[in-house]
Amino acid sequence: MKNAYVPIPMIVDKIGIEDTAKTLRTFDLRFVNDADCEQFKYLPGQFCEMSILGKGESPFGIASSPTEEGILKFTVNRTGLVTNEIHYLQVGDKVGIRGPLGNWYPVDSFKGENVVIVGGGFAFTTLRSLLIYLLAHRDDYKDITVIYGARNPELFIYKDEIESWKQRSDINLHLTIDNPVDGWVHKVGFVPAVAKEVAPSSENASVVVCGPPIMIKYTIPVLVDLGFSDERIITSLERRMKCGIGKCGRCNIGPEYVCIDGPVFTLEQLKPIPDAF
Amino acid sequence: MIKIEKSKFSVFIQNLVGDFTVFAPVGEGRQSAFDEVADAESVNTALQNTVQSPKSIFFPQTEVLFTYNDGDVQIPEAADKPFFLWGVRACDARSIMLVDKVFGRAKQRPDDPAFEDPYWKAKLDTAVILTLACNEPASTCFCHWTGDGPFEQAGDLWAVDVGSSYLIESLTEKGKAVLERIENASPAGKTEAAEIDSLRTQAESYLGDLVDLSELKDRMKQMWDDPAWDDIAAKCVNCGACAYACPTCHCFDVQDEGKKGKGKRIRLWDACMFPLFTKEASGHNPRGQAADRVRQRFLHKFSYYWDNYGESLCTGCGRCIYVCPVNLDIRTVVKRFLDIDAAV
Ligand SMILES: Cc1cc2nc3c(=O)[nH]c(=O)nc-3n(C[C@H](O)[C@H](O)[C@H](O)COP(=O)(O)OP(=O)(O)OC[C@H]3O[C@@H](n4cnc5c(N)ncnc54)[C@H](O)[C@@H]3O)c2cc1C
Ligand code: SF4
Ligand code: SF4
Ligand code: FES
Repeated sequence: MKNAYVPIPMIVDKIGIEDTAKTLRTFDLRFVNDADCEQFKYLPGQFCEMSILGKGESPFGIASSPTEEGILKFTVNRTGLVTNEIHYLQVGDKVGIRGPLGNWYPVDSFKGENVVIVGGGFAFTTLRSLLIYLLAHRDDYKDITVIYGARNPELFIYKDEIESWKQRSDINLHLTIDNPVDGWVHKVGFVPAVAKEVAPSSENASVVVCGPPIMIKYTIPVLVDLGFSDERIITSLERRMKCGIGKCGRCNIGPEYVCIDGPVFTLEQLKPIPDAF
Repeated sequence: MIKIEKSKFSVFIQNLVGDFTVFAPVGEGRQSAFDEVADAESVNTALQNTVQSPKSIFFPQTEVLFTYNDGDVQIPEAADKPFFLWGVRACDARSIMLVDKVFGRAKQRPDDPAFEDPYWKAKLDTAVILTLACNEPASTCFCHWTGDGPFEQAGDLWAVDVGSSYLIESLTEKGKAVLERIENASPAGKTEAAEIDSLRTQAESYLGDLVDLSELKDRMKQMWDDPAWDDIAAKCVNCGACAYACPTCHCFDVQDEGKKGKGKRIRLWDACMFPLFTKEASGHNPRGQAADRVRQRFLHKFSYYWDNYGESLCTGCGRCIYVCPVNLDIRTVVKRFLDIDAAV
């Protein structure tokens, strides 16, 4: 029987540095065993626990899409013990992952709908997964609108891909930064304000919003004003985690465990929970 | 139901030690606990209940998840013999079942064995639990509030101490298999049934007033911002003793011990009363205040668990009342939220 606490062996295949301060790195991991690769079935929005034996483990959203076969992509912000150690990894090093954990964005119920993606900062990870997934099944979905904000141009992750998304006519892409910068031709302002200005239609549409808690908090009323109903406003939450499988007891918001009932929740589910945001 | 003379108790235990690792109450006072015994003489049969709960048999305070050596991961061998637990009280036997709802199959993924806790399952699935009725509940007991009771039947076998002998009834197939091992046992009849009834009535007379908990689930949520939480928090010193003593508290931390190349990953008991329990790397803490943490404790017990499994995560064993250094009494907290006159 599969032991849920034992990590799956992976090898670092590629490392990308996302910003000049080098606090954000993207790791492409490859499975050591083909059988593990075969069994690992996931959807956008799910996460993994990444293990550095001797240091511990931390949860990270899966930034790759299941349509990108053979690899798993994670973007890691360097902030403490485990994330620091992850930043020292070199191509060819071994790491462990546990997963896929948690639930996912309801990509099946999005079929035939317009999808709006609202993201802030490096939380764009699982939103990248979602966007790549939607693009790989482009005919299943109607309009795709992306509103993506970062403090400054430097802090956008997946810059090369953003360039390619700009070229596409089948994505309505809106980039924004907090304060004006020379040479910046896109929007300036916080995500909630830009969402209000772009005003994506809520007609036959769902919206996925992901970012720092404060951004989510101020974006949700804007989306409600635009007419999105509570069950079509979808977000992903973060809590401190250990087990990732609903046992260790620390990641709950009310009766829900973010690691297994979430991390993806609708506003409808979160409304009755006083300490959700 | 069979009857075995107490003079045969040591033969009973002896009969089991070959095939089982036998656990029973040992020690006195605060040191009293369930521990492995080799013979009946080590068992303390005079305890009302152990101060340390039997949960540690299935969920040790520290437990090795695996060892690692240069990327090679080794899971510890499972115990070679199944466990037999003698003398578990009904509250504790039920507590194990409540934790099993979380550590067994996850309700969110009922068909997926990957969401089972394999360490817990391996020990519990083969264990045989004998519950011993409480003839004399303690002053801290309130099991009748949580739908339990001193003579409630739980576990695989259920026994009553009738003075010179034990009456034992099997409740499951596993229990039946153990009873069949007992030689020279006489069947219990009508006299014994009457004896049990009178002991039960006497035991129940030790318990205090009955409080109905069914409204607590919603009350505690509605009173989310009530100053009662601050009053409780002002008294509580966040020591976590209650959670460690509690037979249903099952929170844990995971840590790596050793060097980068060689060592072990362990889990250790943890508790929602500790500020670091939920503190995130960014410094943000969703339960940063003491009041947030006591609210989590009582809401988990009487509201959140109820939302998920239709009952409270408390079986009225009263250990938290006994161990709390500042005399915070869970019964008083409950009464305050139910508007039954009580100052915390
Ligand atoms: C569902 C989910 C998805 C996430 N996705 C990403 C991502 O894609 N990229 C990214 O950079 N970060 C992500 N995070 C946050 C990331 O898990 C934390 O920044 C990380 O755990 C910090 O670990 P540390 O050891 O470096 O920090 P320390 O402060 O040393 O923390 C010690 C341990 O506490 C736990 N912990 C601390 N903070 C958090 C936290 N915020 N969330 C969960 N556990 C925590 C971890 O077990 C961690 O190892 C995600 C968190 C969650 C819950
Ligand atoms: S959250 Fe608190 S009350 Fe609930 S099981 Fe964990 S330690 Fe016990
Ligand atoms: S034992 Fe008492 S003081 Fe300690 S955390 Fe529990 S309620 Fe608070
Ligand atoms: S991380 Fe352990 S219960 Fe959610």
